[in-house]
Amino acid sequence: MISGADARADRALLEQIRNGDTAGAAELFERYAPALLRFTDRLLSDRASAEEVTQEVFVKLIARAHQYDGRAEVASWLFAIAANACRDRRRRDRRATVVPLEAIPEPPDRTSHRGDGIEGALISREQRQAVRAALSALSDEQREALVLARYHGLPYVEIAELLGISVGAVKTRIFRAVETLKSRFSQGEASWNAAN
Amino acid sequence: MECSELTEKAVTHLLGELEETDRTLMEEHLAGCAACRQELSQIETAWQRLGEDPDAPVSADFRRKSLQLIEDEMLRRRVREFRPPRRWIPLAAQAAALLAAAALGWLVRRPAATVSAPSVAPAVAGAPAALPKGTLSNVTYRQADAEGKVAVAFDVTSHQTIVGKPEDPAVAGLLAYLVSQGARTAGERSQAIELVSSHYGTASTPASPEIVSALTATLRHDQNPGVRKKAADALAGFSMGPEIRAAFLEALAKDSNPAVRLVAIDALAASAKQSPDARTIESLRERAVDPQENGFVRAKAASALRGVEF
Repeated sequence: MISGADARADRALLEQIRNGDTAGAAELFERYAPALLRFTDRLLSDRASAEEVTQEVFVKLIARAHQYDGRAEVASWLFAIAANACRDRRRRDRRATVVPLEAIPEPPDRTSHRGDGIEGALISREQRQAVRAALSALSDEQREALVLARYHGLPYVEIAELLGISVGAVKTRIFRAVETLKSRFSQGEASWNAAN
Repeated sequence: MECSELTEKAVTHLLGELEETDRTLMEEHLAGCAACRQELSQIETAWQRLGEDPDAPVSADFRRKSLQLIEDEMLRRRVREFRPPRRWIPLAAQAAALLAAAALGWLVRRPAATVSAPSVAPAVAGAPAALPKGTLSNVTYRQADAEGKVAVAFDVTSHQTIVGKPEDPAVAGLLAYLVSQGARTAGERSQAIELVSSHYGTASTPASPEIVSALTATLRHDQNPGVRKKAADALAGFSMGPEIRAAFLEALAKDSNPAVRLVAIDALAASAKQSPDARTIESLRERAVDPQENGFVRAKAASALRGVEF
């Protein structure tokens, strides 16, 4: 996922945090907050919760900096903290919260949609909501593995290390997720075609 | 290759991890299996559809609030990692040589060890001016005036060591004084709070009203957020009385530092779990829904509310 030079720089930043230097934590935030936010956003399907959990990741990073043993890369460690925090959040919110799909904020203007007008924007919004709904239908374990593979480009081995499971288990989760999505999207298209 | 292996091979291929030999086997199988060709098409469609959820960027507001939170958290850590110097520990633990209450009472009333010399103190004729005991500092001299008198002005600093049990009222009074106003620097105030925090609040040594008042005043008024946080931590370790609750509610509503507000939430929530209190619940609710509030504080307040049964 990251180069050796980046990994070394990350470790140096963590050392800064251990020494009480805020700049180290701020720099790690700049490096990883965008990716962590994308990750948590897709796991939780709620932007506000994703932002809170991402902040929580950095608070935990600061609190646990002295526990880091160097076995995993700092980046993997951050994603592992984020995955755990998302699991906790979903467990806690499961009873109380149902996030309406309308609540999912739109990303800012996408070049690919310019010129399509309102209709294009609406289709884009609908497509996005359909993807989020499909992701939400997966189990937490399947969604974590799939998001890391599909959106973050992590190889099986890194996902296994990050989630603390075997490569075989990672594959099983991803393949089952894809099976579910394949059926869901195929049915969606069939009903769309029937309606038109 | 078997038909049942298609999903595994296809996804691994889409992720760029499929070995060349496996790819060849898959292509050979697909050439002769219409069902798998159709299924592959569905898998590829699903994979592409996932790309219709574009990445949302980090907003400027989120970035600003997060960096502020990180700065506050680093400050919290630095304060938390502070430990009193070793010499403080025997100071409170040894009870052998408690000073006479009268002497200590004098010190509590006048604990400032630095006494400024009077601006004009006439020397007694025929005898040298009484030499003060202690270290002289901030010394200034005045040349002879019209009457031929010179002047020397200075501060006298002397070092005192007070030894006593924490429950001794005089010791408690001295510490309360140091917490609230007697210590000049934030570090000295933090040390006093640390000592108070580690020795009071148990059943055998409850915090005296004097100490509670000193800590609540510090929580309300100290300029240094690290010291306010320290006072809040110490108060959180005491049993919650009306004075402490009022100070926490005020900190939750008004303190500019999120780390202090987080401690207030924890303490109030722990108390509300035992005996729910309408004002506490309302204050937590206000924090949880305030859009201007720091995200982490909001989440903490919401989480605290979920733990309170009312």
